[in-house]
Formats: sequence, structure tokens, C-alpha cells
Amino acid sequence: MTGLNALLALSGGLFVTGLFGVLARRTIVLQLVSLEIMLAGPALAFVAAGAHHGAVEGTAMFLLVLALAAAEVAVGLAIYLHLRRHEGGGDADATARLRG
Amino acid sequence: MALTLQILLPFFGGFAALLAPRLAGLSERWTTIAVMALTLIVLLLAVVSGDDGRWLAFTRADWAPSFGIQVLLAMDGLSAALLAVSAGLGMICVFISWHVTHRSPLFHAAICWTVAASNGVFLSFDLLILAFFWELMIVPAFLLIALWGHGDREAAAIKFLVFNAVAGLGLLAAVFWMGATSDPITFDAFELARDERSHTAQVLLLLGFAVAFMVKLPVPPFHAWLPDAHTNAPTAGSILLAGLLLKTGAYGLFRFPPLLFPEGLVTLAPWGMALGAFGVVYGAVLACGQTDAKRLVAYTSVAHMSIVLMGVCGGVHFALMGAGVEMIAHAFSSSALFLLIGALQHRTGTRDLRELGGLQKTAPAFATSFALFFAAALAMPGTANFLGEALVITGMFQVNWVLAAIALVSLVVSVVYATRLIGGIVFGEPKPAVQGAHDLYRHELWPIAVLGLCTLLFGLFPQALISVLRPAVEAALTPLLFVQP
Amino acid sequence: MLAYLLLLVPMPSLGGFLLLALDPYRLDRRAVQAAGLAAGCAPLLVIGPLAALHLTGAIGDQVAPIFFINVGNFEVALAMGLDAVSAVAALTVAFVAACVMIYALDYMSYAGTPDLRRFFALMNLFVAGMLSMVLAADSITFFLGWELMGLCSFFLISYNMTSPRAFAAGQKAFLITRIADAALLAGLLLLFLEAGSVRLTELIPAGTVAEPVRGSIIAALLLIGALGKSAQVPFHTWLPTAMAGPTPVSALLHSATMVAAGAVLLARFAPVIEAYPVVAGATAVAGATTALFGAASAVAQTDVKRLLAYSSISQIGYMVAAVGVGAPAVAMAHFVVHAAFKSLLFMAAGVMSHAGGGSTTIDSLRGAARATPIAFICYAAGAASLAGLPFVTAGWWSKEAILASAVVSGPLGAAVWAVALAAAVLTGVYAFRPVLVAAATPATPRRRCREHPLASGPLIVLALLALAGGLAVAPMTTLMGGHPPHPAHWVEIVGAVAALAGLAGSVAVVFVPTLAARVRGARKLRAGLQFDARYYALLVRPYRRLVRRLSGREGAWVDRLGRPPDGATADPVGQATVALGLWLRRVVLTPFSPDRMDIAWMRGAAGIGRAAERGRNLQTGRVRDYALALAVGLAALLILGWGMTWR
Repeated sequence: MTGLNALLALSGGLFVTGLFGVLARRTIVLQLVSLEIMLAGPALAFVAAGAHHGAVEGTAMFLLVLALAAAEVAVGLAIYLHLRRHEGGGDADATARLRG
Repeated sequence: MALTLQILLPFFGGFAALLAPRLAGLSERWTTIAVMALTLIVLLLAVVSGDDGRWLAFTRADWAPSFGIQVLLAMDGLSAALLAVSAGLGMICVFISWHVTHRSPLFHAAICWTVAASNGVFLSFDLLILAFFWELMIVPAFLLIALWGHGDREAAAIKFLVFNAVAGLGLLAAVFWMGATSDPITFDAFELARDERSHTAQVLLLLGFAVAFMVKLPVPPFHAWLPDAHTNAPTAGSILLAGLLLKTGAYGLFRFPPLLFPEGLVTLAPWGMALGAFGVVYGAVLACGQTDAKRLVAYTSVAHMSIVLMGVCGGVHFALMGAGVEMIAHAFSSSALFLLIGALQHRTGTRDLRELGGLQKTAPAFATSFALFFAAALAMPGTANFLGEALVITGMFQVNWVLAAIALVSLVVSVVYATRLIGGIVFGEPKPAVQGAHDLYRHELWPIAVLGLCTLLFGLFPQALISVLRPAVEAALTPLLFVQP
Repeated sequence: MLAYLLLLVPMPSLGGFLLLALDPYRLDRRAVQAAGLAAGCAPLLVIGPLAALHLTGAIGDQVAPIFFINVGNFEVALAMGLDAVSAVAALTVAFVAACVMIYALDYMSYAGTPDLRRFFALMNLFVAGMLSMVLAADSITFFLGWELMGLCSFFLISYNMTSPRAFAAGQKAFLITRIADAALLAGLLLLFLEAGSVRLTELIPAGTVAEPVRGSIIAALLLIGALGKSAQVPFHTWLPTAMAGPTPVSALLHSATMVAAGAVLLARFAPVIEAYPVVAGATAVAGATTALFGAASAVAQTDVKRLLAYSSISQIGYMVAAVGVGAPAVAMAHFVVHAAFKSLLFMAAGVMSHAGGGSTTIDSLRGAARATPIAFICYAAGAASLAGLPFVTAGWWSKEAILASAVVSGPLGAAVWAVALAAAVLTGVYAFRPVLVAAATPATPRRRCREHPLASGPLIVLALLALAGGLAVAPMTTLMGGHPPHPAHWVEIVGAVAALAGLAGSVAVVFVPTLAARVRGARKLRAGLQFDARYYALLVRPYRRLVRRLSGREGAWVDRLGRPPDGATADPVGQATVALGLWLRRVVLTPFSPDRMDIAWMRGAAGIGRAAERGRNLQTGRVRDYALALAVGLAALLILGWGMTWR
């Protein structure tokens, strides 16, 4: 397997792992953690592809993903703290008031 | 012109009667009487100035040429006699209903409209117009029964409506078929009579016509609407029903089968005569068991109109002439009987023969009138009813002796029901219901006198009526029908 | 010219009827009586001279045409005619009518003015009808008069309107005679079709030359018509019950004129009857049987009016038998004589019973000889004539003529003669019973009652005729075209013996206790051999049951087919149509009645709602589930994209 392919496989694995974590975990904190792992996947793919083609856009995208991840974590943790304070718990399944 | 007036005068007269009280302050009763009188005068003028040929008067005008619909009206002796009867009965109905106050303008309008629609049937020879008037007749009669009747009047009116409307479908279907298969499209009866039609087609079309007419006639087994309609109808309704509507059925059978379907008539005539024979006996026997006076007279109407059916299907001169005479005679006698019974009901509140009795003591004029029409119901020689029945029986003797014998049975059974009727009303000790009954008022006596006079005049001096009916009878003779040597 | 006077004969009576029945103004009692009497007697004044002139040969046969009717290809010519038969009959009818009207003036004095008015109106209408019938020269006028008589008979029998018994008697009479009238009408119409004309002068010859079967049927129909009107067996049951009417009615209608109309019919149409030997034989047999039956029943009666009714049945049987053996003129002669003595008997019996308190039983006549001598003597004269006491009574001459004609006309005639002879003996027995009872002294002596001359006058006149009229029998017979028979002497002697034997038998029955008891116990004979009861069981009751069944008052069909609303009666055939309609509605319309399509649409709409409800379950509100959905969707898109790269 070429280096790029291996890196892409790794990023795919990271993504899937993160996805599995989001689906399988009940607590919000761990879902957020899994989300981070998911984000790491495409980020790695961007960097690898940038490195392989010698383009600088890959690294730029990586920076975008970083910023995105940071923003997301901030908002996510804020929601988590809000839920902890008012609902008493970080159970994602219990927070289902938008049920149809 | 005169013929269209026969239809239009009562039609618009009905509206006049409806609106006159409110708009002009005129009495709706006198308006109706005036309209009827005017119709009668126009009729007399038409008859007097009529031609000597086949038709006394003839009118033809295009109406919807692309569909072949015309205003085609023709009058001969038979129609003229029936038109005179309709106008006369219309007038009599007004006189006899002087006490009706509930929605009186509409009542009198309904009377006018019934007369108008019947006149339309008697005059039309455009088959679509005929079917139109045929269906139209039902509506004002329905109103009369449903709004001003007594007892379970809505049910009786609905029964009347359903029977006649369903039967009218037969007429409508046959007319549409004939019109649609004609080339160029036309509903002119005379044109259609010239078309060649296969035997089966004639029989089927004749059945369609016959169903409509026989239900109106009425002939058992289609007669079930008549007793209920008569018992629950107001007096004027009964008179118009018996004197006019039933005659339209008889007229239809008299006029159209020989004209349009002669071969079909030859095939179906024996069945018609057999059905008539059954109806004669059945109606008479049932009349013997009734306790309601109006129902009794209704069943006798079934019997008498079955005699007309026998005459019409007989195909020989005597039978047809007898049918025509019986039509007119029955109009007089049954109208008079309904008039008397209605007047009695108005005074005593009952029609039950078990509760009436002894009228001779309290109201002799009433009793004498009953006796006169008792004789007419019995077909006593000297009354027009006897003339009609005797002519039909003579015709039946020319066709089939068995049928004549059955028709003679009606003479015998009529004694049973007629004595039952008069015994329950006139004979016996005066019952409580009858005690206070006032004798006939003048406005009831004059119609009775006129009807009685007509019955006796045509019974004793029949030549006038026979000459009047002769052209119609001769046109209706079915030359293919056999005559016993 | 003279012929047109014929049309005037029934006119006064008809005018009297119209005046009394239809005139709306009040008439006081005197006016009613005057009008009734004048109208009743006037015909005699017209027909008397006419008939006399004709019978003495001064004028020949007359025909007065009334008018013509053109029907089809036939010309129907109505007319009245005067010939020997009609002259004799009309004269008799007018005379007896006049007598009865005069008598009725006194007899009906108990009635109120409106009832009296009704009485005279109906009697006059009857007289007009009967005169039209006998004077008719065509079958239509004949039948008109015939039916008119039947109608008047109904109203007169039920004259006492408050009596249900009288009404029932009138109904019965009307019904039975109507059956016969229907047969007569059939016969006349068939004759008309044979002959092409209604004139009797053409009908009768045509009837004789018709082909055998047809002609026999026609003759038989005419015979039935005559038998019914004349109350012969088997149509006789109405006459005894018709005695419920007042006595003048019985005297005029049910003894002298109307019931004998059948005999007049047979005498007129005698050529037709004689042309078909079977029918002629049947006529003779019917007449003879009735004569014997009537006489036997009369012997057992306890009511004088019923006795006289059965007597009429029997005597008219004689007339009918005379026609059957081929002697119509003799029958007519007996008609005249019978009219005289029978009306006399009724009227005299009426006077006697009135004096005795109103009951008409024979026992109540006891002592009437003392109380009402004139009536008694007249009754006795009439009874003698009825029994046919030899030589001195008219009855003897006419009855002997009949017996003589019978004996010489073949084997059937001989049998008829024997039966008639037996009947003659019985006639004597019953005729004198009331006389003897009336002559007997009563338990309490009775005072002499005042007999009004209006009542006695006609009685005396008729009594004289009943006795002396025998002289006229032979001339009448010749005039009417018959041959006065010259019987062998032994026949006359046997006849005389029969009459005297009857008288003796009567004495025996009244005075010998055992015989009297036998007669009292003959209940079946008194009830006329229970013809009435048998007819009721065979005909009336089943008919009533049929009517009740058909009217839905009993019978199972009502449950099956349903009945109309309002509790009214229904009839099976009509209700069957209605039931068919209702069944069609149930089978064809009711399945569609709740609108299935509309329901389907609405159900579909509801289904969408339900689907939407179920769809809500997808919205769990859980992030994880949404994430899963996202992932699955993404995977699907990827596969789709990959799949689209296939080619």
C-alpha cells in the first residue's frame, strides 16, 4: 500500500471509530470526544493529500478543521454544562424534548 | 292556437291563482274557476269550428329542430271529450274545496297544473313532449296529496310518486329509442308510425309504453298505489286522480299502440285482455272487503279501468267504443262518489263504513245522490257506465266468450260492493257521527247534479257520445286482430 | 200515429218518480199522495183503450220507434211495440199497479211524509220500468226495464231503512237476480251479434236459426235470466226473504209483476226456447220441479206472507213449464190470472194482519173473518182461484189449460202433467189453510174493524176478476197466438178432483191434530229444504273468507309481504309489487346506501393521518439516532455514487 493510501485508510478508520463512538456512547462528553476523533479523520486525510500533491491547500484545510473543532467543542461543552446544571446529567438519550 | 291554449291557459292560470291573492287581491278560487271556464270555452269554440276530417284541430310548430322535437298537438272526438271532462272536473274541484284555507293559493295552483299537464298528455303527438307531460302530471298531484291530504299522506304521496315515476321510465326509454333510431331524428308520432320495425322491436317498445300506461291505469299488479293515494288524498285530489289521471293511462293505451306498434299489439293483446279480466275480478272482489269508503271506491276504479283495458285490447269496434265510453262514464261516476264521500268526511270526520249510517234520515238529498251514483256504480242501464260495459262485453263476445263471461262477473260482484257502500252510508239507524251532518250545500249540489245529468244523458241518449268517439275508435281498430265469425 | 201513445204509457209513472224523488221542494202529504196515485194510475188510462182496441182487433200491431243509435256497422233501433202479448201484459201490469197504489194509500198511512214520498217514488219508477219492459220492441229497452225493476226491488224490499234484516233481504234479492240478469244480458248480446239488430222481431227468428250449440247456449242463457228473476229453483231463495218489504211491495212486485217478468220473457222468446229441444225440456223440468217444490214448502209455512211467496214460486213454475211444453200463450193467460189473485191475496192478508195487530203469522189471523169480513171474503175468493176450484174460478181455467197443454205434448209433457197435478193438490192444501184459520173462532172474540174503502175497493174488484176472469182465458190464449187446448174429459175430471182433494187436505191439515202437528214439525220443508243454508255454506261463507284473506285481515301473506302504513288493508297482488320494490331496495340500494366511496376516501385520509402518526416515531429527539440516520444516509449516497460509476 502506498503511503497515501495507508494514510487515507487510517483517516477512514479514525472517522469510523469516531462515528461508532458517537453512536454507541450515551454521555454527551464522550460523544464530544468521539466527534473530535471523527474530525481528526478528514483532517488527517487533508494533510496527507496536501503532502502527496505538494499543495498548500491541504494544510489550510487542516487549519480550518482545527478552528471548526475548537468552535464545536466550545459550543458543545457549553451545552453540556447547561444540561448538567438544569437537567442533572449528561445523558444524551434523555435529552429528547424535540421528539416529534 | 286553441290547442296550445288548452295547455297554456291552465298552466299560467296556476301561476295566476298562486299570485293573484297577493298581487291583485283576487280570490284564487274564482281565478281558477275563470281559468277553467275559459279553457272550456276555447275548447268548445275549437270543437264547433273544427274540421270534419280525422282531426278536429291540429297544431304543428318547430321547437328544437336539430333534435326533432316539435310542438305537435292534435285533437279528435276522444281528446275533446276528455279535455272537456278535465276542465269540468277542475271547476268542480274548486267548488268542492271551498273550505280549504291552508295555503289555498298553492292548492288551487296545483289543481290548475294537474289539469294543464293532463291536457298536455291528451293533446301531444310529439312523443318527447308526451313523455314530458306524462312525468309532469305527477308533480302537482304529489303536492296535492302530500300537503293537503290526511292520514299518512306523505307515505301515500311517495308511493304514488315512486310507482308512476319508475313506470314513466319505460315510456321514456321507448321514446328515446324510437327517436334515436329514426333517421332523420324525430319524435313525431305520425312519422315514427311510418317506420318499419321488427316484430320484436315492436313488442319491446310496446311493453315500455304499456308499463307506463298500465301503472297509471291502474291494472293489477301495478295498482298498489291507488288505494293509498285515494284514501289519503284530499277530495279534490281524489277527483282529479280518479277522473283525470287514470284516464290519461287509458287514453295512452287507446291511442298510441295501434298507431305505433300494430303488430306488437296483436301479439300482446291477448295478454292485455287476460290481465284486464283478472283486474276486473280482483278489483271487484277486493272492493267487497273494504271498510273505508274511499278505499272501496278506489278498488272499484281498478275494476272499471280493467274493463277499459279489456276493451282497448279487444281491437274490435264495439270493444274500443265501449272503452272510450267507459272512460268518460267512469270519470263522472267516480268523481261524484269521491265528491260525496269527501263531503261526508268533511262533516263527520270519518270514512269508515262501520261508523257511518242512516244518512237517509238526516240528509235526504245526500242519500238520493248516493243512490243515483250507486246505480251508476252498478252499471244500471240508463247510465253511461252500463253503456260502456255493455259495449265492451259485446266486443268481448266477438273475441272470446270466456273473457266476456269474466267481464259479466263484474256486473254481479258490483252488487255486493255497491250495496255494501250504500248500506254502510245511507241505510240503518243514524249513527252518532252522522247525527249532525248537514245536507248538501248548494255548491256541492250543483256539481252532483251536473255529473248525474251527464251520466243519465249519455246513458239514455248515447248517440252524441258515440258519434264523437267514432273517428278515434275507427283509427284504433287493429285490422290484423281476428274477429270470431 | 196511434203507436206514439205507447211511449206515453210509462211516462206518467216516470214523471211521478222524478217529481217525488228529485224535486227539491217540500211537498205536503196530500200532494205526495196525489202525485203518487195519479202517476201510478195514469198508465192504465193510456194503455187501457190501446190494449182494448188491439185485443178486439180494431188496430193491428203497432211499433213506435224511439230513436236510433249508430254503433260500428250496426244500427241499433230502439222502439216500443204493441202486440198481443205486450197488450195483455201491459194491461195487467197497469191494472194491478193501479189497484195496489190505491190500496197503498191506506196501508202506508203509518209512514211519515218523507218515507211516503220515497215509497211512491220508487213504486212509480218500478211501474215505469215494468211497463217499458213489457212494451219493449227491442232488447235494449227490454233490458233497461228489467234492470230498473231489480233496482227498485232492492230499494223497496229494504224500504224500512232501519232494519238490517230488510237490508240483507234486499241485498240477497238484488244479488241473485243480478246473476240471472248477467246471463240474460249475455244471451241478448249474443242474439244481437247473431241477428245484427236489436229489434225483437228480428232477434227471435235469428235465435231460432242459429247453429245448434250456439243457439242452445243462447236459449239456456235466456232461460237462466228468466229463472232468476222469477225466483225459480235454484234461484228462488230470495223471494221468501223479500217478504221483509211492506205488503204493497209484495203485492205488486213480488207476486204479480216483477217475479212473473221471467215468465213474460220466456213467453216472448218462446220460439227461441222451443227451437232447441234440450233447453225446452230443461224449461219444462225446471218449471214443474219448482211448482212442486214451491207448493210443498208452502204447505209447511207458518207465516202467511212466506206462504204466499212460496205460492208465487210455485205458480210461476206452472207458467215456466207451460212455455217448456210449447204453450206460451197459455202461460201468459195464467200470468194474467195469477196477477189478479196473487196481488189480491197479499193485499187481503195485509188488511187482515193489520187488523190482527201487525203480525203476519197464520195463527194471528184467527178470527179475521169476524174482524175484517170484506178482506176475508176477498181472500177466500183469491184462495179459491189459487187452488183452482173447478169452473167457478179463473184459476181453474188457466191451470187446466196448462195441464191440458202439458198432457198432450209428448212423454216429457206427461211427466210434467203428473208433477203439476201433484202440485195442484198441494196448492189446494196450503191455499185454504189461512182461510180456515181465519174463519175459526179466536180465543178472545174480536171486534169488527173499520175497513177503509180505499183498501176494500181494489180487493173487491180483484176478487171479482179472480172468479169471473176464467171466461177470458180462452179468448186471451187465442189472441196471443196459442191454441186453447181441448183436453180430454178425464184430464178435466182429474184436475177437478185434484183441486177438491186439495181443499179436503187443507181442512184435514187444519183440523186434524196429528196432521197439524206433522205440518208444524216439518222444519226442513218450512225452510225451503235448506237451499238458503246450503247456498250460504257453499257460496257466501267461502266468498267472505276469500275477501277477508285478500284484504289482509287474515291469512299468512301479510306477514310475508308486509302491510301498508296507517293500518290500512292491503291486497296480495298489489303488496307483492310493493314488496318486490322493497326487496330490490334492500338488495341493490342498501349496500350502497352508506356511500362506500366516500367512506373509502375518508378512510384513506385517516390512513394518511395514521401514517403521519407513525412517522412521528422517527423523531425520537435523540441525537444519536439522528446521527445514525445521517451516517446511514451518507453511506447510501456513497454506495449510490459508487454504483453510478459502474458502466
